[in-house]
Amino acid sequence: MDRARIRNFSIIAHIDHGKTTLSDRLLHRTGTISDRDMQNQLLDSMDLERERGITIKAHPVTMYYTALDGERYELNLIDTPGHVDFAYEVSRSLSACEGALLIVDAAQGVEAQTVANVHLAMKQDLAIIPLINKIDLPHANVDLVRRQLEDILAIPGEDAIACSAKEGIGIEEILEAIVHRVPAPKETGANSLQALVVDSVYNTFKGVVNYIRVFTGELRAGMNARLYHSGRTVEIKEVGSFNPKPYTRDCLTAGETGYFTANIKSPSDVKMGDSLLDARNPAPPLSGFHEVHPMVFSGIYPIDASDYEHLKVNLAKLQLNDAAFQYQAESSVALGFGFRCGFLGLLHMEIVQERLRREYDMDIIATYPSVIYRVQLTDGEWHEIDNPVFLPEPTFIEQIEEPMVKAFIMCPNDNIGDMLALVSEKRGLLDHTETLDSTRVMMICRLPLNEILIDFHDRIKSITRGYGSMDYEHDGYEASDMVKLDMLVNTDSVDAFSSIVHRTKAEGRGRALAAKLKEVIPRQQFAVAIQAAIGGKIVARETVRAFRKDVTAKCYGGDITRKRKLLEKQKEGKKRMKSIGSVNIPQEAFIAVLKA
Amino acid sequence: MSTTPGTPTHGEPGWSARPVRHLYVHVPFCASKCEYCAFYSEASEGELVNRYVRALITELGIVANELAPETVFFGGGTPTLLNCRQWEQVLDALHRLGLDRPAEWTVECNPATLSLDKARLLRERGVNRVSMGVQSLDEDLLDRLGRVHSRDMAFRSYDILRQAGFDNVNLDLMFAIPGQSLETWQRTLTEALAMQSEHLSSYEVIYEEDTPLYVQLKAGRFDVDEDLACEMYDLLVSTARDRGFQQYEVANFASGAVGADGLASRVCRHNVAYWRGRSFHAVGPSASGFVGGVRTRNRANTRLYCDTLEQGERAIDQRDELPPLARAAEIAGFGLRMNLGWPFADFVAATGFDLREEWGDDLRWLVDQGWGELLSDRFRLTDTGLRFADQVIERLLRPEQS
Ligand SMILES: Nc1nc2c(ncn2[C@@H]2O[C@H](COP(=O)(O)OP(=O)(O)O)[C@@H](O)[C@H]2O)c(=O)[nH]1
Ligand code: SF4
Repeated sequence: MDRARIRNFSIIAHIDHGKTTLSDRLLHRTGTISDRDMQNQLLDSMDLERERGITIKAHPVTMYYTALDGERYELNLIDTPGHVDFAYEVSRSLSACEGALLIVDAAQGVEAQTVANVHLAMKQDLAIIPLINKIDLPHANVDLVRRQLEDILAIPGEDAIACSAKEGIGIEEILEAIVHRVPAPKETGANSLQALVVDSVYNTFKGVVNYIRVFTGELRAGMNARLYHSGRTVEIKEVGSFNPKPYTRDCLTAGETGYFTANIKSPSDVKMGDSLLDARNPAPPLSGFHEVHPMVFSGIYPIDASDYEHLKVNLAKLQLNDAAFQYQAESSVALGFGFRCGFLGLLHMEIVQERLRREYDMDIIATYPSVIYRVQLTDGEWHEIDNPVFLPEPTFIEQIEEPMVKAFIMCPNDNIGDMLALVSEKRGLLDHTETLDSTRVMMICRLPLNEILIDFHDRIKSITRGYGSMDYEHDGYEASDMVKLDMLVNTDSVDAFSSIVHRTKAEGRGRALAAKLKEVIPRQQFAVAIQAAIGGKIVARETVRAFRKDVTAKCYGGDITRKRKLLEKQKEGKKRMKSIGSVNIPQEAFIAVLKA
Repeated sequence: MSTTPGTPTHGEPGWSARPVRHLYVHVPFCASKCEYCAFYSEASEGELVNRYVRALITELGIVANELAPETVFFGGGTPTLLNCRQWEQVLDALHRLGLDRPAEWTVECNPATLSLDKARLLRERGVNRVSMGVQSLDEDLLDRLGRVHSRDMAFRSYDILRQAGFDNVNLDLMFAIPGQSLETWQRTLTEALAMQSEHLSSYEVIYEEDTPLYVQLKAGRFDVDEDLACEMYDLLVSTARDRGFQQYEVANFASGAVGADGLASRVCRHNVAYWRGRSFHAVGPSASGFVGGVRTRNRANTRLYCDTLEQGERAIDQRDELPPLARAAEIAGFGLRMNLGWPFADFVAATGFDLREEWGDDLRWLVDQGWGELLSDRFRLTDTGLRFADQVIERLLRPEQS
């Protein structure tokens, strides 16, 4: 298609504001999908994502639309992950576009994710088309949302299109806006192929299938192409587009989106965001590439040591479709052999762990997540530490820096007090507050990433009875007084329970953890001492009392079967516990530590 | 020796021998439901009891030819709730079927349900042992447990038993009842022992799911005081021993001279059969039997039980089959609840396996823990080991799939 009639765009929105509904509506209106397919939300595929209302991965879809000017346009919808954990993936998708539809729910107004996503889109210089969705709702307040757009996001309110994805109101206008407000793809001025690798999925027959956006030149099967940052040259086997099902094409030309395959066996062979160039006559790479770096780390261990190989295979499978997920073998004194896993953020971590449990049916233990600390030793050297076990002794440490985030927190006016208390409990500072409307504010805060890892989001939801929302972006490092908190079970330090915490919180957390462990470690034949220690100093102690007896009082002929079955189950249960020293620690203990 | 794993290595297990020497009869009726009770029992309404008696007699007829009982045990429920006429029908049937000459024949009774006539009838027709569910001699605690009888009724019923000629009586006592102090327990224990029964069964209150007592516990109406329960148990064991009783199982004490088998003469042979893994038939709703190595359970609902028997069929609805080694493991474990432990020869006779071969590591571990004692002819649990009998059993169990 002629470049002038191609439009590449994304949709950005806060969860539940209607991104999926609108995508389906656009596909339907352009005849890309049939009425029947309209039933199913097509773009999200994995259940888990659907449940959490996010999209991690979706391929670009091509639609054809004949505009009011009589011309036929090719509209490419490039989906973005819905969550800023995946900020780099979002930026990558956005950089394949010239414009973005920004959906705001007319009844809910601007939310945290809206702000975070708009920031990303603005950084990419995209044309933003604001949509005020769900105007069919009785409490829709279009004017208010227009004002919010101006006040909070500096987007002219009158540019917004009022629509209802569900009722099909304003769809025409949106399609026209895409045609007229989103610029056609521009040439970069290079004299041969330049394409951006946006994402990839793994296909058993074809190997890695890469989603791309062509900026300059054209890509054909049979070509030799160079993946600039990955440092590989490949022979292109197949190119194609999605309508929304994949179909092969002869070539992809400047401005178009689609996919290619090239007998690439492993997703790790292709760096996401890489530039694909003509191998014989390479143009300069596209700008904006950076390596994906995990921000959050956690150990994943099989409960049953014999599942190690199985876990390894499954992690590899997961990675096939999740290039941002990283892992390497490690071992823990308490947990045996397992893997240190790196994630983009909290949500990413939860998703991977949940998929292992649910889709792969693995019994795993995940250790307390850690961020990456920068540690300067007394000899002046800097180290990055993502596992408490490797934090050097305090005497060798000159200083520690921890990663910070800039958080956008939306909350009802009534909850400002509680929210401020929460932010300060989490060692955060309020930067400034913006009024959203007569009932809500947005608080912009700076917080340590480590403090929002565990329950921050849940706490916001509970303080605001579900009305609050939060999103964040990474915001550099800052020196901080961090210490290592160890938990000892019968004087053995359990590495899986260790964490790096701020000094002011170490003792409290130590006490809470000890109390929690006391609850979940079952009684044994001997007393179990649980201690919390900071740098060798015991700060809390609890004891799980020894069993004095364990015998069924009354046991006759009719009781035996039931009793035996109970004991069999108990015996099975013990197999699933980890024994540390001579103490049996159930899986719940490891989970409890995450929650404490 | 190379055999397939899981087949007995030392001959046929005792459970495949015939005839079956033990019979349990379940009577599923109670005057009212006790707070702690998870047994299957229901209120006795006239016609259903008659229907039950007919069905029971049918079932007895079905199993009779496999039986040559050394012991018979009528349990419940409350067997003494059957009236004299109903009892006569059952007794006649047992006689007709040749099942009424066991060496030991026990009937359970509750204090409030026993008249002298009924007691005489049972005694005359061959019943020679009665087990009486006293539970407590403290009025408040009897109320707490929801028992229908009073303290006085317990004494009176006991006298009736003696008058009717029963010279082998067991008293059931409970301890660690919510609200019970060590002193109240001591008083009940002293008073009960003063009655001079031949046998004593005494156990800590068990909180079974689906009982009112369990619900109250979960609702936080009272706490379980483990230390107090242990003290009460210690008091029980030492007091009973001082009075010349032999403790022969976790919760059972018997009087009389100790015989060649190491057991006091008044032990309950029927219960010993359970712990020795012997076969027994069981009839009546919800009754569990063990014949040919398979544990079975009858339908629990009395009406459905009767329906099935009226079709001329046994009302078994659960079968628990295990490979021989797993079954032997179960028998090994539950048998160690007896103070005597397992004589190696008896264990081989019962299961076809040698305890020392299959469970050698476990026995050593138990000895190291101070829970077990390895003697030349047998293995037994120490006093401490007995207190952890469930963990011992758990350790000895072998997986079902072998
Ligand atoms: N009333 C109304 N509901 C809508 C509209 N658009 C979406 N919804 C509903 O809002 C919910 C979230 O929509 P969805 O498209 O899944 O949001 P996403 O999380 O942004 O993909 C669903 O229950 C939709 O049916 C609309 O225009 N009007
Ligand atoms: S009398 Fe016995 S069987 Fe009946 S309810 Fe009470 S404890 Fe249960």
